[in-house]
Amino acid sequence: MSTLNIGGSQLDASWFLLLSAILFILGTAGVLVRRNPLVILISIELMLNAANLALVTFSRQLQNMDGQLFALMSMTVAAAEAVVGLAILVDIFRTRDAEDVDDLSELRG
Amino acid sequence: MTDQALALLVLLFPVAGAILLAGRGWRLPRIFTVIVGPGVVWASFVCVLALWSGKAHGDFTYWTWIKSGSLEVPFNLLIDNLSIFMCLVITGVGGLIVTYSVGYMEHEDDPSYARFFTYMDVFIFSMLLLVLAGNFIFLIVGWAMVGLSSYLLIGFWYQRHSAVVAARKAFVMNVIGDVGMILGTFVIFVNTQSVRYSEVFAQLTPSQPCTGICHLPYRFVFDTPTLELAAFLLLVGAVAKSAQIPLHTWLPDAMEGPTPVSALIHAATMVTAGVYLVGRMHPIYDVAVYAHGAVAIIGAVTALFAATIAIVQTDIKRVLAYSTMSQIGYMFLAVGIGAYAAGFFHLLSHAFFKALLFMAAGNVIHAMHDEQDMRKYGGLWGQMRPTSISFLVGSLSLVGVIPLVGFFSKEQILGLAFSKPNDSLALIVWIIGAVTALITGFYTGRMWWMSFWGKPSPQRPVEHPHAPPLVMMVPVGILAVLATVGGVIQTGALGVGPAKVNDFLAPAVGPLRWEGDWSEVVIGLSTMVLATGLFLAAMRIRPWSNYVPWAQRLLERKYYFDEVYDAAFVHPMDAVAGFALRGIEEPVIDGAVVDTGLLTRAGAASLSLTQSGYFRNYVLVFVGGAVVAAVILLLRASS
Repeated sequence: MSTLNIGGSQLDASWFLLLSAILFILGTAGVLVRRNPLVILISIELMLNAANLALVTFSRQLQNMDGQLFALMSMTVAAAEAVVGLAILVDIFRTRDAEDVDDLSELRG
Repeated sequence: MTDQALALLVLLFPVAGAILLAGRGWRLPRIFTVIVGPGVVWASFVCVLALWSGKAHGDFTYWTWIKSGSLEVPFNLLIDNLSIFMCLVITGVGGLIVTYSVGYMEHEDDPSYARFFTYMDVFIFSMLLLVLAGNFIFLIVGWAMVGLSSYLLIGFWYQRHSAVVAARKAFVMNVIGDVGMILGTFVIFVNTQSVRYSEVFAQLTPSQPCTGICHLPYRFVFDTPTLELAAFLLLVGAVAKSAQIPLHTWLPDAMEGPTPVSALIHAATMVTAGVYLVGRMHPIYDVAVYAHGAVAIIGAVTALFAATIAIVQTDIKRVLAYSTMSQIGYMFLAVGIGAYAAGFFHLLSHAFFKALLFMAAGNVIHAMHDEQDMRKYGGLWGQMRPTSISFLVGSLSLVGVIPLVGFFSKEQILGLAFSKPNDSLALIVWIIGAVTALITGFYTGRMWWMSFWGKPSPQRPVEHPHAPPLVMMVPVGILAVLATVGGVIQTGALGVGPAKVNDFLAPAVGPLRWEGDWSEVVIGLSTMVLATGLFLAAMRIRPWSNYVPWAQRLLERKYYFDEVYDAAFVHPMDAVAGFALRGIEEPVIDGAVVDTGLLTRAGAASLSLTQSGYFRNYVLVFVGGAVVAAVILLLRASS
């Protein structure tokens, strides 16, 4: 069974995976090229959601609920990660005006 | 209270004092130190008196310390007349000296003041443990601990380089002796399977007399050479502790310590431990005749040798130190010819008069602001009358003037050596001892006349010396009285009166086995009269060695013992140590450590280039790695 039944119409699973891949690459590119810490955080969320999409897709295709559960878990972790990440960002913004992550390089060797 | 508890209490008082003073003593007012320091020694003294008056004796076992195979080390105290005698000397004379220290050390700062009394109490404890121990292991523990407290007290003024060097020298010399003791104990244990005195000695005493070759009905496990070996090894310990030739060089240097320390440790008690050891081990030495003879010879030679050096010394404490070596030589001589009780009586009388001399000298040094050179004294007779008289009493007792205590003890030793039947060795040591007695008269006279008589030296540091405080003068006075009249307890050697010390010690070390006759008394008396004459003559004449430059130099350099030891041991060891430092330690061991460090640092420096601090660099590496891993997985899956 290589197609998924969504809203009555049949759609090939590879489309979903393609979308997931595109979203992931967009996220990766965002992390790599953008410098605003907030945007980087959003890009990371994008990558996580791309992975979630892939998980859910496979879950439907293989008729196995593990993927769905894992996606839920992943969202929980993402929420926690967002809390920590935003808290760090708020703290950084409180002490200085960090527009650019390249300014935050005190830990270089 | 039982004797067993009382014996333990003798030991516990000084320990308690040391712990109190070491803990918080120096934070409390000084009066606390003044009371506790000497107080615990006097408390011990009272316990010993109680043991003495109760005629206590026995071998009290408290607990088993070590049990391993056939080795069983109990903590047992042997209370007999010998250990009570020693305890009386240690706590009695020790109590007087520690009390005297209250005044002598008054200029010390508070922590040092309490530290001094802590060390003193530790010493008293160690010495008591040494004489009370009922087995070889605790004997060694006490033996090593008196060495430690001696080290701490010689180096008491640790800011002074010479004191530190002297302390180290004393410690190293004493450790040589400790090694001898340990090896000797080992030989004894291997042969008897016991370290308890009573069990060891029981195997040495025949249950019935046997002459010629006979099958002995008792277990006689030693063959004679082994026993001689054990006796000689123990003798090494005795010689080191008692500063006899050839391990004597530490004692004169030990005078760097405070004067009460010299009086207590290096005159009255610790240095006589060797005599105690030979006396305590008399069942061994009675059988090991060669080692026993060596004791007498070492003693006689040291007595003469130290007395000759004392003639030319100018430091008052060094004269007393050599005199101490010489007098301990007499004690070795006495126990070496089997006259144990005579040796111990001299130990007692020496404790009286030598502690008196040191403490009187301490009064002078205290008043002279730590000047110890006798040439810079002079004329103290008029200004420090009580101290001068005390010092004179001590000196006359040391010389052996009738009827002071030193006369009776020395006369007895010389008389017994002279009259011992069928013994040429005893006759030889008698000749040496008699000559030494004459030299003693001379150097003592020189010391006294030089320090106290005549006009004040122009170099004298103090014009009008202050009188010592009462707390210093009273112990000196008590000892002066004891050194004067102490002889009445033992006039038996002259043929009249009691011999209380001999009688008291007879159960522990055996009775004297021979009697002198009138010729002995005449010889002894005339020797002492001659010595007294030399004491008086020293007022006018200078030492003969002044006219013989090489002899003077030989004596001033102390027979070049220090130089020889430096050349034979110290310098080669320094060379070896220097080579080990510069040839092995620095290039190899240090080098390896340093190079490891440098390598790590260089590696870290090159690796730290990857730590750019730019977030996207890390992400790029991470993503690149993930891609590479994915490609590898895909390739493996497809193949």
